[in-house]
Amino acid sequence: MNSAQLGVFMVGWEYPPHNSGGLGVACQGMTKALNQLNNHIYFTLPYSVPGGSSHMDILSCVAPSIVGNLVPGQLYSAPFSPYINTAKIPTSSFQLPLDKAKLTTLPQSEIESRVGIYADAVAQEAFSHKNSTDVIHAHDWMSFPAAVAASKATNQPFIAHIHSTEFDRVPNGNGSSFILQTEYEGLMKASRVIAVSAYTKEILVTKYGIPRDKISIVHNGIDPLSANRIPHDSFAPKRPVITFMGRFTMQKGTEFFLELAEKVLARIPDALFIMAGDGDMYHELLWKTASAGLSTSMLFSGFVRDTQRERLLDRSDVFIMPSVSEPFGLVALEAAQRNTPVIVSKNSGVAEVLPSAIQADFWDTDLMADQVVSLLQDTKQSKIVVDNQHRDLRLITWPKAAERINQVYRDVFLGA
Amino acid sequence: MAQICVYFQLHQPRRLADFSIFDLGDEAAKYVSSSENDTNEVVFHKVASKSYFPMLSLLKKLLKKYPSFVFSLSISGLFLEQAQQWEPGIVTLLQDIIATGQVEVFSETYYHSLASIYSPTEFKAQVMEHQRAMLDYFGVIPTTFRNTELIYSNAVAEQVAALGFEGTLTEAVPRYLGNRQKTRLYHSYTPSHLPILLKHAELSDDIAFRFSDKSWSGYPLTVEKYLHWLDRYGDEELINLFMDFETFGEHQWEDTGIFEFFSNLVAVAQDKHAFVLPRSIFAQFASEPATKLEVYDVPVPISWADVDRDLTAWIDNPFQQDSLRILYSLEKQILAIGDEKLIKQWRYLQTSDHFYYMCTKWANDGDVHAYFSPFDSPYEAYRRYSIVLSDIKAKVHQLLDHPSLKLIH
Repeated sequence: MNSAQLGVFMVGWEYPPHNSGGLGVACQGMTKALNQLNNHIYFTLPYSVPGGSSHMDILSCVAPSIVGNLVPGQLYSAPFSPYINTAKIPTSSFQLPLDKAKLTTLPQSEIESRVGIYADAVAQEAFSHKNSTDVIHAHDWMSFPAAVAASKATNQPFIAHIHSTEFDRVPNGNGSSFILQTEYEGLMKASRVIAVSAYTKEILVTKYGIPRDKISIVHNGIDPLSANRIPHDSFAPKRPVITFMGRFTMQKGTEFFLELAEKVLARIPDALFIMAGDGDMYHELLWKTASAGLSTSMLFSGFVRDTQRERLLDRSDVFIMPSVSEPFGLVALEAAQRNTPVIVSKNSGVAEVLPSAIQADFWDTDLMADQVVSLLQDTKQSKIVVDNQHRDLRLITWPKAAERINQVYRDVFLGA
Repeated sequence: MAQICVYFQLHQPRRLADFSIFDLGDEAAKYVSSSENDTNEVVFHKVASKSYFPMLSLLKKLLKKYPSFVFSLSISGLFLEQAQQWEPGIVTLLQDIIATGQVEVFSETYYHSLASIYSPTEFKAQVMEHQRAMLDYFGVIPTTFRNTELIYSNAVAEQVAALGFEGTLTEAVPRYLGNRQKTRLYHSYTPSHLPILLKHAELSDDIAFRFSDKSWSGYPLTVEKYLHWLDRYGDEELINLFMDFETFGEHQWEDTGIFEFFSNLVAVAQDKHAFVLPRSIFAQFASEPATKLEVYDVPVPISWADVDRDLTAWIDNPFQQDSLRILYSLEKQILAIGDEKLIKQWRYLQTSDHFYYMCTKWANDGDVHAYFSPFDSPYEAYRRYSIVLSDIKAKVHQLLDHPSLKLIH
């Protein structure tokens, strides 16, 4: 599609380097590719960003203007205050980055307040960019109230992009009713909805009752690795390494990883399982590991990023993503890029684009253990999986994703 | 006129190096940090200037001034190694005061380990290594044995007696002592009848823990008041004051007046009471075979730590138990490989402090554990330890699978 420039007012929440999950990374890949398609992007964030971006205009939407010149942690009092020493601006001010995973751990009143303040600030920015905005594009529930406000301020339609739902994050159904409600209202008010996978689309249809034909599926892409990259230094020689990487939450199926580890170790005693990440199930996982007598078989690397993350994926002999519910699962693609055979949960979006990866039900730890053992013992099979994964990867690009998003923009813009 | 038996513990662990999963299999990576400016060195310098130097200098003066003043020291091998490496002046001071003959030096496990609970053979090896160090550094052969954190049980007594020691010391725990006095000499519930000195927890902790506690009814603790408490004990009664050396200047800072207190206490107490050494108490007992001692029967191990005076500070939760299980399961294989460097690294991992940091008991004891731990939490202590343990285990398996590699070392 070749066309005139569209002004995209994109409502974000996190962006590299201030992100811990996949949302920020996805926004980066997506906006770069959309920019290549001749779109002009304004990208809002709920915190101040030093510097900027070469491919879009980043708008810091921090709190109402009164906060403007206050410094966190400093004492303030009105000029003629009858009391000495009044308010103290908390150091955890709204100006500091707070990624999506951490946001949900706050008390509900604070979540509401942060999301509400962001909506006000975004609306102000949207109003001042009214003339250059053709479409509003918002990522996940935290941005939906802001997108609704921006849509009113500009009188332009908005697109709700779903990277994950409360049903994914809290699979037992006890998710936050505030978040569920915010998701629902956003999805209903949006002109179009983009889901990161067919798996997610089904959740939106069945759990939220969103009309099927309102939802477009756009799988995430991934930036290819440089062809002449030098692999990182190896570690833990002679031991087969099986890796989990992600937040330690019920959603990610951490307990199933531990369960399958015990089954693999019964057959391959020197196997080394590494859990990379952090999360609310961390202490429980440590406790279970020690109780199962796996202190030297299951190691915890802590949260890894950048080079360490790459080193670990480079080194892994098998990568497992046993998520209970995974809208996409970018990390599986990263592992595949780094020549690691991947086992993914059937309840994942990434399985749709990486068909060469081995699939299993997250609860079927017997099967996953068999799969791990077979990959470790049969190097030929392992190599075939790796090669086929690379073939899949060639089709999973951000330009391709951007083309599809662009089509959604056009549909909305033209009122289709 | 009571007999006052004072003993100070000198120990500094070698805390773990910053060893991550990415160091697994790296031959050059160290398990315990020993490079310059690492945590161990920083801690050692700090405690040296606050406690070791001022207190040792004070003790040296007191020994000279009062020839009847005597006390005992137990010095872990790890303490000596680090003193030699970073503050050799402390070794010289120790040599000076031990040369006076007024200081008894105890035996203990070189690595300040829990070997007495897990492996009699490893226990013996570490006691022997410590004996050699005491002979090398101070020219003495200790005859009194002090186990890590005063850990004691009938089974421990058997091991100690088998190594030929004259006696040992531990905590007076009411569940085993009953309402008998802790100021008498007891003997073990073993055929060896090993003599045992029992710590006077109240009078020891008045100095070690409560000295500067303003909420304590005894505050402020004056020499007069303390002496008054000592005076309640009659002739032949033994008041065993056992405490960490760091009580002076580190746990109780200089500005609390702890140094003046101790100095004045020695000055006054040596007139009214007698300072004694465990070796003379044991020798006197041995020379009077007719003396009947009562039995201190301790079927389950006790220690001087925490409220419970048991082993739950080190061996309680799954982190500690699984780590210790795996650590000691390597003994036979590591000794069979016979690589001295590897054996040393493995022994560094046996230091009790590593397991103390993993303790998840809370309330008052938790505060004490947190104060001493280099880690943010017991979870982090376990996480970091398990990586190192995993590495040494893999190394052992690899060396056994490929014996030819032994030749390379």
